[in-house]
Amino acid sequence: MAHVSVPMYWRTIPQRYQMMGQKCKKCGAVNFPPKGVCKYCNASSEFEELQLSGKGKVHTFVLIGAGGAPPEFADQMKAGGSYPVAIVELAEGPKVIGQMTDVNPKDVKMGMPVKAELKKIYTEEGVIRYGFKFAPDLEGK
Amino acid sequence: MTAGISGYNSYVPRLRIKKEDYAKAWGSFQAAGVSEKAVMSFDEDALTAASRVSKRALESVPMAPAKVTRFAFASTTAPYLEKLLSGTVLVNVGMPNSAFTTDHTTSTRAGTEALVSGIEHVKASPGGVAVVATADAPRASMWDPLEHPMGAGAAGFVLSSENLIAEVEGYASFAMEHFGERFKPAGEGTLQDLNVKKFFASAFTTCTTKACASLLKKLGTKPEDYAHVVIQQPDAKTPGSVAGKLMFNDAQMASGLVSVNLGDLGAASTTVGLVAALDAAKVGDRIIMISYGSGAGSDAVSLKVVSDRKPVPSFKDQLEKKEYIDYIQYVKLKGALK
Amino acid sequence: MRRVAIVGAGQSKYGEFPEKGIKELFFEAYKDMASSVDKNFDPKQIESAYVGNLGSGGFQLGNMSALVAEYVGLPYIHTVRVENACASGGYALVAAVMDVMSGAHKMVLAGGVEKMTDVSGMKQKYWLGVSGDTEYERLAGTTFAGLYALIAHRHMHEFGTKREHLSMVAVKNHKNGAQNPKAQFQREIQLEQAMKAPIVAYPLNLFDCCSTTDGASSLLVCDAEVAKQFTDTPIYITGFGTSSDYLAIHDRINTVTLEGTKRASQHAYKMAGLTAKDIQLAEVHDCFTIAELLAYEDLGFCEKGKAGQFIEEGHTKIDGDKPVNASGGLKSKGHPIGSTGTGQAYEMFNQLRGTVQKPIRQVKGIEKGLVHNVGGSGGTVSVSIMER
Repeated sequence: MAHVSVPMYWRTIPQRYQMMGQKCKKCGAVNFPPKGVCKYCNASSEFEELQLSGKGKVHTFVLIGAGGAPPEFADQMKAGGSYPVAIVELAEGPKVIGQMTDVNPKDVKMGMPVKAELKKIYTEEGVIRYGFKFAPDLEGK
Repeated sequence: MTAGISGYNSYVPRLRIKKEDYAKAWGSFQAAGVSEKAVMSFDEDALTAASRVSKRALESVPMAPAKVTRFAFASTTAPYLEKLLSGTVLVNVGMPNSAFTTDHTTSTRAGTEALVSGIEHVKASPGGVAVVATADAPRASMWDPLEHPMGAGAAGFVLSSENLIAEVEGYASFAMEHFGERFKPAGEGTLQDLNVKKFFASAFTTCTTKACASLLKKLGTKPEDYAHVVIQQPDAKTPGSVAGKLMFNDAQMASGLVSVNLGDLGAASTTVGLVAALDAAKVGDRIIMISYGSGAGSDAVSLKVVSDRKPVPSFKDQLEKKEYIDYIQYVKLKGALK
Repeated sequence: MRRVAIVGAGQSKYGEFPEKGIKELFFEAYKDMASSVDKNFDPKQIESAYVGNLGSGGFQLGNMSALVAEYVGLPYIHTVRVENACASGGYALVAAVMDVMSGAHKMVLAGGVEKMTDVSGMKQKYWLGVSGDTEYERLAGTTFAGLYALIAHRHMHEFGTKREHLSMVAVKNHKNGAQNPKAQFQREIQLEQAMKAPIVAYPLNLFDCCSTTDGASSLLVCDAEVAKQFTDTPIYITGFGTSSDYLAIHDRINTVTLEGTKRASQHAYKMAGLTAKDIQLAEVHDCFTIAELLAYEDLGFCEKGKAGQFIEEGHTKIDGDKPVNASGGLKSKGHPIGSTGTGQAYEMFNQLRGTVQKPIRQVKGIEKGLVHNVGGSGGTVSVSIMER
């Protein structure tokens, strides 16, 4: 059973591969992931595309343990053990959820600087789903 | 037209396994001179590593991805046998869809194939900018000692005719028919090797020395003109045995011998070696890299360092940032238990 | 608009019932409801039914409301399956109330049913997972435990809420649930045991999570004008409110507030002419221990950030000044998704009438109660105020 179909995944490539955000033409706030109507002013659906830096800080995080992973992440759990997931406050303003990568789970801290990197999310129907995860931003320190 | 490297960098995965852990599991570690090696994590592959080094190389210039006109990807462990691979990296990095992209995937020579094709593009197209991403994590059956040296790493380069760090002086190739060494028959996922050691060593020697000799002749350079020599590293001993025949010494090999700490990097072996050498080089230094791919062929490339601009993070910094895993974790990450 | 009353309420046992499907479970709750009506119950008077349900045991998603209605002898009526994830039941009740208020129907059934144990653990997680934000939260590798853990961790970071505070919720609810014959886990647990349970999604452990399970519940909702024909002690729905929120937590302005709970409860209080202070008993949505702490704050029982202190001081114990989850909550009762909301109202119906099965958990002499049902991590919330 596919959880997110291939066409559905493909439509979000600008977000998952490039972190393409929307800057509201009315209030100037940045939406990511995209909305039909700006979630900040709730008054405009006119946006310009904005390439986000992918940089941000950990707003909150969880360490997913055995039993806490969705089925499509079970192999990752089996192979690599507990993995961290964070809500990251991006430099441009919006918050977004993503897995943490290139880090020992015990080293994840509130407020730590992170940077988006392309990683494998999971494989389903033989298709590797690539997308951003957050790695410690060593230069951002 | 002058063409060369305007930016570069490497990516070294943070996980490592020590030779002692192999010896504990198998009784011995059959990878001459390798003390530990890098391992990709569960969520990495050649494409994610290629993306990482492409971005790092562009940032080191710095150059906007929109200016890229050519992209070449190289690896022997592409995640798909059929499907365009370079598009994944192209889109992630933000390079234009109109850039001409190629995938080089059938031998460990692929890294220099991509590099040379990038240089040829810059020479042929005024204003052209090529990004070359070489990334590999070679794999073989866990039962095969061939697997022991296999590590992981990636190197990326921005090639153009401006703002150069190193100028490419020239390159030469040698290809021949050979077989039985490190091959993957169509329809079979596992790497094979008939283990006819002397016979294979002769192919390695023939290809590398012929390519190198023809390049030195073409450029009128001598072995002692090179401060840094990088030769394909299936382990950490093989390149040294060929170096002697080419009149290179250990001191010239030191800066680029990355297999000691990272293992066999396949198609990224000489390119990661080149990054290490560039990091260590001074202005005026000459570097020669000589790749080898079974089947068989070699490319030799001569470079001259013209700027002491160095990228961040350095190769050395990445080498030091590591976390060890044991053999069980290694086997799980490599997916051998599936 | 018409006033609305509940004149009957029933609930199946919650737990694992391999011999029962959604039809049989729903029938068990329906019969329990029918027998609770003090006089003159005639099924033919039921004109309409709203059935809360999420996954239908994974087999009858389409038209399931018609199926369970005809199975219990209610063919040829207005039926609707109501789906708002874990808040399906609460919304089914609100739909029934609005139906009666509008004057369209006089006698309406509000119920819910779920069958979670027919499928593998993987499939269960699938059904729960599709109720969160599938495009981002799910693809980051989280289930609801992970999402509530993100909220819990931030709550701990911002307000100094402690690990113990989370476990105190579990201990309190298990103590109440031990006295509930229809609860899945009728046993008390100790604080130390609750704190040391295996980690599911740090900072949440196994005892911070409720169990998704099988069960059904059913309420008979009618026009207050006819309520006395059925009982001398109807329970009136004097206020209700519902509110959606941004589905994914990362889209919300405030990570540690369920805005849906705040807004739904404010609507409900206003409609009933009450404030949080007037509520004498609340059945709140404690799918995870942190969810109950959030409910204290967002329903206005205590200030934002003070929920840890609030439970520590014992206010919400059964003999406290603001008892919460006398039934044992989702934590001890179990969480049959679509049934949970109407199941909470079943408990409140009996609490307000003084007819709780085991009187040891009966909160005495109360007249005003609140039921609070949350969908997912707060994407949908319903609050209803029930008065004697």
